[in-house]
Order: sequence, then structure tokens, then C-alpha cells
Amino acid sequence: MATTGNKNINAKLVLLGDVGAGKSSLVLRFVKGQFIEFQESTIGAAFFSQTLAVNDATVKFEIWDTAGQERYHSLAPMYYRGAAAAIIVYDITNQASFERAKKWVQELQAQGNPNMVMALAGNKADLPDTRKVAAEEAQAYAQENGLFFMETSAKTAANVNDVFYEIAKRLPRVQPAQNPSGMVLMDRPAERVASASCCS
Amino acid sequence: MYGIPKYGRFRSLKIHRIYTRDSVTTRNCPALLCLPGPTLTPSLSSLLPRKSQPSPAFVSKKKPLSLSLSVHESLAMQETELHDLSDDADYAASQLQASASMMRSDGIKRSSSSEPDGAEIVYLKDNVTIHPTQFASERISGRLKLIKQASSLFMTWIPYKGQSTNAKLSEKDRNLYTIRAVPFTEVRSIRRHTPALGWQYIIIVLSSGLAFPPLYFYNGGVKEFLGTIKQHVFLVRSAEDANVFLVNDFGNPLQRTLSSLELPMAVSVASEPSTSISVGESPLNENQERTDVVFGNSSASLYNGKQRQKKASNVTEKIPDGSPVASDPLENISYMKHNHVEEAATNLGTFELIDCKEVDKLTLVWGKPRQPPLGFEEWFTFLDSEGKVLDSKALRKRIFYGGVEHGLRKEAWAFLLGYHSYDSTYAERTYLRSIKKSEYETIKFQWQSISPEQAKRFTKFRERKGLIEKDVVRTDRSLSFYDGDDNANVNLLRDILLTYSFYNFDLGYCQGMSDLLSPILFIMEDESESFWCFVALMERLGPNFNRDQNGMHSQLFAISKLVELLDSPLHNYFKQHDCLNYFFCFRWILIQFKREFEYEKTMRLWEVLWTHYLSEHLHLYVCVAILKRYRNKIMGEQMDFDTLLKFINELSGHIDLDPILRDAEALCICAGENGATCIPPGTPPSLPVDDGSFYTQQDDDVL
Ligand SMILES: Nc1nc2c(ncn2[C@@H]2O[C@H](COP(=O)(O)OP(=O)(O)OP(=O)(O)O)[C@@H](O)[C@H]2O)c(=O)[nH]1
Ligand SMILES: [Mg+2]
Repeated sequence: MATTGNKNINAKLVLLGDVGAGKSSLVLRFVKGQFIEFQESTIGAAFFSQTLAVNDATVKFEIWDTAGQERYHSLAPMYYRGAAAAIIVYDITNQASFERAKKWVQELQAQGNPNMVMALAGNKADLPDTRKVAAEEAQAYAQENGLFFMETSAKTAANVNDVFYEIAKRLPRVQPAQNPSGMVLMDRPAERVASASCCS
Repeated sequence: MYGIPKYGRFRSLKIHRIYTRDSVTTRNCPALLCLPGPTLTPSLSSLLPRKSQPSPAFVSKKKPLSLSLSVHESLAMQETELHDLSDDADYAASQLQASASMMRSDGIKRSSSSEPDGAEIVYLKDNVTIHPTQFASERISGRLKLIKQASSLFMTWIPYKGQSTNAKLSEKDRNLYTIRAVPFTEVRSIRRHTPALGWQYIIIVLSSGLAFPPLYFYNGGVKEFLGTIKQHVFLVRSAEDANVFLVNDFGNPLQRTLSSLELPMAVSVASEPSTSISVGESPLNENQERTDVVFGNSSASLYNGKQRQKKASNVTEKIPDGSPVASDPLENISYMKHNHVEEAATNLGTFELIDCKEVDKLTLVWGKPRQPPLGFEEWFTFLDSEGKVLDSKALRKRIFYGGVEHGLRKEAWAFLLGYHSYDSTYAERTYLRSIKKSEYETIKFQWQSISPEQAKRFTKFRERKGLIEKDVVRTDRSLSFYDGDDNANVNLLRDILLTYSFYNFDLGYCQGMSDLLSPILFIMEDESESFWCFVALMERLGPNFNRDQNGMHSQLFAISKLVELLDSPLHNYFKQHDCLNYFFCFRWILIQFKREFEYEKTMRLWEVLWTHYLSEHLHLYVCVAILKRYRNKIMGEQMDFDTLLKFINELSGHIDLDPILRDAEALCICAGENGATCIPPGTPPSLPVDDGSFYTQQDDDVL
């Protein structure tokens, strides 16, 4: 499956990050091409899917958007368990959100799928005047921790699709045989994969 | 007596009824309860007002309705039960012939398909009987009809008057079991039972999952009944069980789009016919609420009986990929009892539900029709001269069934939330308001007095303030009350929430609280009053926001227990698909459906929930009611956890509140004591059982 055979992959992806960093906005931009200035806070979690064509394959992302508040942290493992990829989002105008992002990275490194593809997204790049987190600092952190890094803007759409595209390229073509928990989105029956690709 | 006349005879008879919500009972309308055949004398029919317009028509909601019924008094439709009908194309043809010959034999003018807007009786069968108890002496016979109006098909079953075999069966009982104009858009399936010995009977299951009692065809005619239905609505035989006929089955993609009662987009369409068939010639000059009253569309009837218990478990439904889904949601509630006598109502009036024990565990419950909201004039009838609420239970009941008019909410909510006590006087409330205002100012001053310098060394404060500020600017900003730059009300949201996080420092601020406060501020329009009402609400819902999630867990757990009780196939489905944590209901519960309904409907729902009239936990039954509405879709499409969560999130804005409230009420009554035991003590909004501090020290820096 690495090169031939079924080239249509389903990949579970989870978005983590501080309140208001722009997780929902990034998903909305990627999935619907929209931006809502007063995007409501996420209660519980939301689920979306979107398919990308990468070279000669398609990747159907099954995206879990989580609630940012620390109070709801205990629910997070339910969503990142079994995920093939994660985007950890912070707000470049908010230093605390960067610190929070680092904690998420640590948690995923300790608890998550070891093969997980992780991206660090410095969002709200359209607000350079109020920037608090230097791109170099984030870049260096990402490198040390084996993530890839991009600054994004859900508002202007800059780099949004690129993050997902980059993740898609990095996904191992061979899916893990089994995931431990119930909420597994990776190993779908073949016909669901096929139907996903025919609609893409 | 049960024999129907052997001679065929038709009588054309126009029935015009004036419908008013309260006064009309079946007694006012003898024609609908008349005995079959010769007993329908000209003198009886002359009791009915006649009207001369040549082609009376059914019209929609707000216009007067008149109905020209041609009463087909005897059989004429031969019982051609020689071959099996169901999926047989010839059968439909033969039925067409039969009805054509029927037309020919009908010398008198009758409404027919040539009158596209008219109602036409397409099937009529006498001596269709229900068995409320196992005693043959206690049976109620009546007339079963299929009525076609425009493109919609309805079913009615009206018991005969004064024909009951037992004096114990009163008028009240007959009313109770009467089936009034159920549209087939609300029917999920029909199960046919053809015992080797005894009468054939059918069980009609509604899309809500509830069912009518078995209808026994003393004179045969089940096949003909199904055949007639098949001519008018999409009816297929279940692949799993040859005796189950699915109405508007969603397995077929074309039908899915056409008839999808359960697709969110189709909700309003589906409920349309149920209001348009109401019969009467005077204008229903009522508002929408009143119109809803006319026909409880999803009149959630619940039935559990012995016959059903025995047969239920083999009922299966066809679903697209062929794996069976058990369809009988009621098999598990057969032991339910509720001992209190409750009122219930149909479109034709109010009556008491009989105690289940009295009729041998047979229950038939309709959620009561929604009433118009409580207005000022009526409100004052609940107050004495000093302003005390005389009968708080009656008030809560009134609000439970109708909500509160917008202008009155400011006053009523303060009681419902427990900020004002019902036995307080006007003067006491005015006094309380002033005391509470200064108390509020005191707490508010605690954070207002924190200087920027101090804040630098007060991380927790800064974090809280920052979090609140992030949330209030994205709470209901599309409402004019909260829109625009530097909106004063948004600032009030911030101040109240920050003050609350000092008032209840242990709980602090949690996402979701701004959603709960927003309608309260919108209604109260006063900072201090909003704060104290919010405090009162948080007394009930605070545990929803506990770090350990115990409040949420106990509610989600209770939902799973209630679904197990009220819809065991759905429960089993969730179990098989690892969905028993019910996290897809998380948002519903955390913020009381705030994101699921439009603003006005949310406020209506909240005031109904806050009455705690039938149960403190009606919101849990609302969850079950919504899940039951969509159960076929959920199971039919084999949704897994993620698909289900997406589906549930996307229901937002598409759920029709009134039918859901009626279903929830019916489910709550039917679940009775058994339902209450599903809900652990201390489950919000009940106050916690253990005393002491119920918010464990929260630390937001755990991660
Ligand atoms: N200028 C700018 N604003 C953004 C951008 N992305 C998001 N926002 C705004 O930031 C706020 C929060 O965005 P959300 O997408 O709701 O943030 P979130 O991470 O999903 O927040 P939670 O659901 O509360 O965890 C909203 O008002 C967005 O409009 C961006 O790229 N640029
Ligand atoms: Mg979000």
C-alpha cells in the first residue's frame, strides 16, 4: 500500500491549542473556505471531514476540533487517541498560547500515537503588529521536537491549506494495523474508503 | 352485533365541524361516532349543519376547513384475500379496479379524486377493535379509516359510541384510545399479525418509536388495509420480516430525499399535513401555537401490552446494508407504571389518563398540546393583591405547557430560577432587588479595584479576565442586542461573568457560561438582576462545569440509562458502536441546548425546563426525544461515533421544539418511576446530595 494498491487514505486529525487560538477558524477555512469573525467557542468537540488530493493519492481527513479551555482537558485524550496527525495551534499575538502549545506537544509525545504527524501552527499571522511570539523561536522549538512549523492565518487563508497538504504528504502510506481504542477512524472498511474517494 | 350489513350502501354526507380547542369533544360530533350501517339515520345526519358550497376543500393551517366526507357505510370493498399483496404490483391494480367499481355503484355524489383538494375516504373498516385488557369483555370497537387529502394519507380510528361491551369503559376511555388523523409521514412501520387462531391484528409504530395498541380486525381486511396504504404512500415489506411493512423507508435513496421525515430540512414539511387536516369551518384564527394544538402531529402515544411483549423481539427493520436493526423500542418498557393520574389531551379536548394499573399496564399517552405562552393578563390571576403567587404549582404547570410571553419573561424568570420566592410580596421583591444590587456592587468592586500593577502579579485574575474577554466577544454577536463594536451589552456580559468568578471563585469561569448568561441579560436588561438570576441558574447547573466533569458524567450516564429503558434497540446500537459515553450529547447538556435552537426557542425551552413541573430532569428526556426522532437515520446509516457527533452537531437549527417537548413529556410520563431511578441522586439540576463545598478546588495550571 505504500506505493501501489489503495491510494485512498483516511486519516484522523486532531486540533489542539489554547482558547481562541483559532482552531475552529482554521478548520472552517480548510473545510468550507470561510472565516467568521465571531466564531463561537467550541463546546465539547466538533467533527469535520475534507479530502485532499496529494500526488496520485487522496487523503480524507477526519478532523476533530476540540475545546480549548483547560477545564475540558480531560476530554482531550478521547479525541487524540488513535489520531494519525495533530495540528497544535497557538496565536502569535499571545505568548501564553505558545506555552500552552508546548504542553500539548509534550502530552502528545508522551501519550499519543508515536507515528503521529505533528504540525505547529502559529495562527493570526495577519496581525504582525501585535505579535508576541517570534517565528524563529517557534521554528526552533518545532525543529527540536520533530514537528513541522508554519505560520497561518485563518482570516486571510495564508498557509491554511498548506498545513493540511504538508501533513498529507507526511502521512505514512501504510496505516497502523490496529488502533487501541474504540474511536478509531483509520481502518475503515474498504467500501467507505472507496466512497470517500469517489466524492472527492 | 359485530356483523356489518351484508348489503352495500353508500350515503353521502357532508360533515362540517367547527373546531375550537377546548369545547369540542367527540360528543359534539355524533357523526364521527355513529354506529355503522342502518343506525345512521337521516335524522342523525340532519343534526349536522349543512353547507352548500359545492366543493369544499381542505386548506392549510390558518384558513377555515371544511370537509366533505362521503361516508361509506358498508363494505363494498370485497375482501379479496386470495393472494398476498404486499409487494405485488397486481394488487394495486386490482385495488384500483375495486375502487372504480365502488365508484360506479355509488349513485350519489361523493368526493373523489376529481376534487384534488378534497378529503377522500379511501378505506373504511368497521369493527376494528382494541383490547385494552386481557378481558374479552373490555373491548372497544370502532371504525378504521384511511383518508386521503391532497397527496397526504391519514389514518383515523374512532370508537363507537355507547357500544362498549362493558360499562367500565366510559366515554373517557373511548376518547383516550381514539386515533385522530395520524398522517402517514409519522408512521414508521406496520406489523401484521396473523395468528392461526383468532383475529388478525396490526401494530402501528410511529416514527417517534411509539406505537398504538394493536388493532384487531374482527371482519378481516388487513391485506386490503395495507394494499390501500401502498397505493398512496411508499410501503415496502421488510426484508427481515415478511410481516413488517415499512412506511417511507429510508433505504431507498430516492425516497430518502422525498419522504425524509427525519431529515432536518424536512421537519417542517413533515409536520404540515398534521395541521392541515383539522376539521372545521370557522377560521382557526389562532397563532402558530394554537394551530399546533389542533393536531398533535407526533401525538406521542405509548403503548405497552402483553401481546406486544411476546412478539416484539422479532421485529426487525430493513436497513441499507442489510444488517438487521431491531425496531421495537417498546419491548423494554412493558413493566413501566406510573401511578399518578395525569391529564393528557388530544385535539378534541382534555381528559385524564387512566392509571396504568386500571387497564392492565396498557398506557396510551399523548404529550399535551402546547399552549399559547402565558401573558400578562393571565399572569395576574396567579398573584394575590400583595403580589404573592397563590398556587406556584399551577403557575409552573401553565408555563410548562406554554412558556411565557416575551414581555413577561423578566418577571417570570426571576421566580422560575428561584431568585424570587413565590410567596414573596411586591414590596419584599423591591426590597430584595435593592439589597442585591448593593451586594452585587460590592463583589464587583473586588475585581474592579485590582490595579494594573496588582494584576501583573495576579496570574489567575489575568487568565480569567482574558478567557472571559475572548468569549464574550464571540457570544451571540449576530443578535442586534450584542452586535457592533464596543457594544455595551458585551461589556456587561464581561463584567457579570468576571464578578461571578469572584462570587464563586472555586468554580471560576468556564466556557459555556457566556452562553448561559446571554439570554438572561437579554431578558433582564439589568446588570445586578442578571447577575443574581445567573447565580440562581448556576446553583443548578454549576456542576456541569466541574473540573472532574462529574455533573456532566452523571447526566450523560442518566441519558444512557433512559435510552436503555425507552429505546433498547437504540441503546444496543450505541453499545455495539462504542457510543455509550454519549459524548455527542455533551453540548446539549452543558449549555442546555443553547446552540441547538434559535434564540427565541432556546428561551422557550429554558423556561419550560426551569418549571421543574413534571421532572427536574426533563432536559434528559428532551435528549431522548431528539435521539428517538432520528433513531432510524442513526441506525439506518450505521453511524459511528464521529459521524454521529457530526450529525448531532449539525442538527443545530433544525430541531422543531414543540414536537420534541411533547415527546419528552410523553416519555417522561411513561418512564415514570423507572425513569426516575435511571437518574442518579444529585444529578444536575438537582442540588448535590453531599453537603460541603461542591466545587473542588480548581487549578487551571494542571497541564
Ligand atoms: N485576525 C485573525 N483572527 C482570527 C484568526 N483565526 C481566528 N481568529 C479569531 O479568533 C477568535 C477565536 O477563533 P476560534 O477559531 O474560535 O478559536 P478556537 O481555537 O477554536 O477557540 P475555542 O473553540 O474556544 O478553543 C475568533 O474571533 C476568530 O475570528 C486569524 O487568523 N486572524
Ligand atoms: Mg473552537
